[in-house]
Amino acid sequence: MCKERRQGLWVPAFAGTTRGGIPIGGPFMVMAISETAAKRRPNFMGRKSTRKAILIWSFIAPSLLIFLLYRILPLAWNVLLSFEAWSPLKPAVFIGFDNYQEMFFDDEVFWQALWNTLLIIGSAPIGIMIALGLALLVNADIKGRDIYRTMIFLSYPLMTVAVAIIWRWMFDERVGLINYVARGLHLVDKPIPFLNSFAWALPSVIAANIWQMLGFYMIIILTGLQNIPGNLYEAAAIDGAKALHRFMRITLPLLRPSIFLCFVIGMLNSVTSFDLVYVMTAGGPGRATEILVTYIYKLGFTQTRFDYAAAVTVVFFLLLLAVTWTANRLSGGDAGAVERG
Amino acid sequence: MRRYPRWPIHLALLAASFIMLVPFYWVLKTSVSGENIFSYPPNIIPRDPNPFYYVDVWYAIPFARFFLNSVVVSTMTVVANVVLNAMAGYSLTQNFFGKNMVMMLFLSCMMIPFQATIIPAYLITGKLGLLDSYLGLALPMFSTIICIFVFKASFDAVPRSLIDAARIDGLSEWRIIWKIMMPLAKGAIATNVILAFIWSWNNFMWPLISTRSIDMQTLPLGLARFLSYQEDTTGALYAFCIMVLAPSLLLFLLAQKEFVQGLTSGATKG
Repeated sequence: MCKERRQGLWVPAFAGTTRGGIPIGGPFMVMAISETAAKRRPNFMGRKSTRKAILIWSFIAPSLLIFLLYRILPLAWNVLLSFEAWSPLKPAVFIGFDNYQEMFFDDEVFWQALWNTLLIIGSAPIGIMIALGLALLVNADIKGRDIYRTMIFLSYPLMTVAVAIIWRWMFDERVGLINYVARGLHLVDKPIPFLNSFAWALPSVIAANIWQMLGFYMIIILTGLQNIPGNLYEAAAIDGAKALHRFMRITLPLLRPSIFLCFVIGMLNSVTSFDLVYVMTAGGPGRATEILVTYIYKLGFTQTRFDYAAAVTVVFFLLLLAVTWTANRLSGGDAGAVERG
Repeated sequence: MRRYPRWPIHLALLAASFIMLVPFYWVLKTSVSGENIFSYPPNIIPRDPNPFYYVDVWYAIPFARFFLNSVVVSTMTVVANVVLNAMAGYSLTQNFFGKNMVMMLFLSCMMIPFQATIIPAYLITGKLGLLDSYLGLALPMFSTIICIFVFKASFDAVPRSLIDAARIDGLSEWRIIWKIMMPLAKGAIATNVILAFIWSWNNFMWPLISTRSIDMQTLPLGLARFLSYQEDTTGALYAFCIMVLAPSLLLFLLAQKEFVQGLTSGATKG
């Protein structure tokens, strides 16, 4: 019996691991070898696996290089630069936290830009709520819903510079459509200079931003809606749940990841919408629409204060991380990890 | 479940669509009408429509040059994106030493918006000697993480048995990629082409920073420059807007499905 067992075990050894019919090692070892050989064949034939590893790494290397060069390295460089006094053609001097000290204690523009950025982040939920309503509507079983979806989504892929010019035109004091309508309906006595007034400039920019992002939010929420299993609603209907109840107890909780995803992407998109602000108001009037990104640009490229701009960038980046992290925690961990461009 | 009336839904959606479309219409109207822009009340329908403003744009700025620059940069970005992302996506479907590290790196790179890197990015591009060149304009956008994951998902969906069969038939790794994987990843390619084109076509901040001469400027920069030395109140500005918007609008309407698919797959599965 013992002999039979042995023979039984030798067979895979003959087939798998030997050349010329000479078995290597004891039976158990042969078993082990043939098992691993079946699982990870490439490793078993050493040369081929090295070649494959080289192939794979050479496949991933170009992308990796781009991201190291334009994401990781800049991040590190920003941090380094923020502790230095440096401008082109001058040697860098380590100055510790001086840049940060100036930013936090002597720079009112920074605080204004930070506050405006926070206001823009805070305005993201408005767009998301409108989009939620629209997504529920275009999810209904009605004729022509694809056309509605297209029309609402149309503004998202457009060039933001053009969108900014369109909205400048809409908000114009003398000839803007919004002022025409407001005057026609006798809502206002004299035209509102939207983009030139301290009170209206930021809300106007935010409105244009929501207009552009609305379709995107709607599509994300719609995808979330379509992923909710229909039998949940049937079961709830059989149990006698009212429509409002079904919405509050089924739709909203299951949409939570989509909504937080919208918030994270929308937040990232809005606070980085340099082109919209730059073209619509250029941060003005005064500093009423200055956001951190436009401030960084101005510091770096019109005042050539790269070191200080780097310090503002570090704070900006930490702010984004903190908001994303919070949203991620609130959503249960599914959102985040994605941005547009 | 046809119990509730449909017309309120239609009404609400019509109102929403109206708000979304009116700005387009207003700009289009302004760009073709020959009337005095300050006339009050304004006409809803353009009186005496004519293409004069479009001709104005052609002569006022080097439109052809801007257009060419935009096309060159977008083409470079699209080609590089498809090639690099497909390669990276393919390698992420394989097991190799250091894969987890690479995945972590990609996911953390997603959290770094380009706007938070502009100053070092400018300095790096300067060190590479690529400021004010086509390659310098396109290089930072050569690879996109979302699209790498779109490719990975698409390659993961190729049945294992098909690849094994090809391997038994003696196809090399390269031929497997070219003859089997790529044809099956057509959807991912289309998605990537559209996303990369739109991102690169619309990009404003990076060209603003990295170009110096007018000859290297792209359309968004041309548009912003046009705004800065013309009054808001000339129809030519709006004619320019329409000319710039038309290509991406057309592409979007033609390939809407792929575009939306790319966004949602990048957003929900990524």
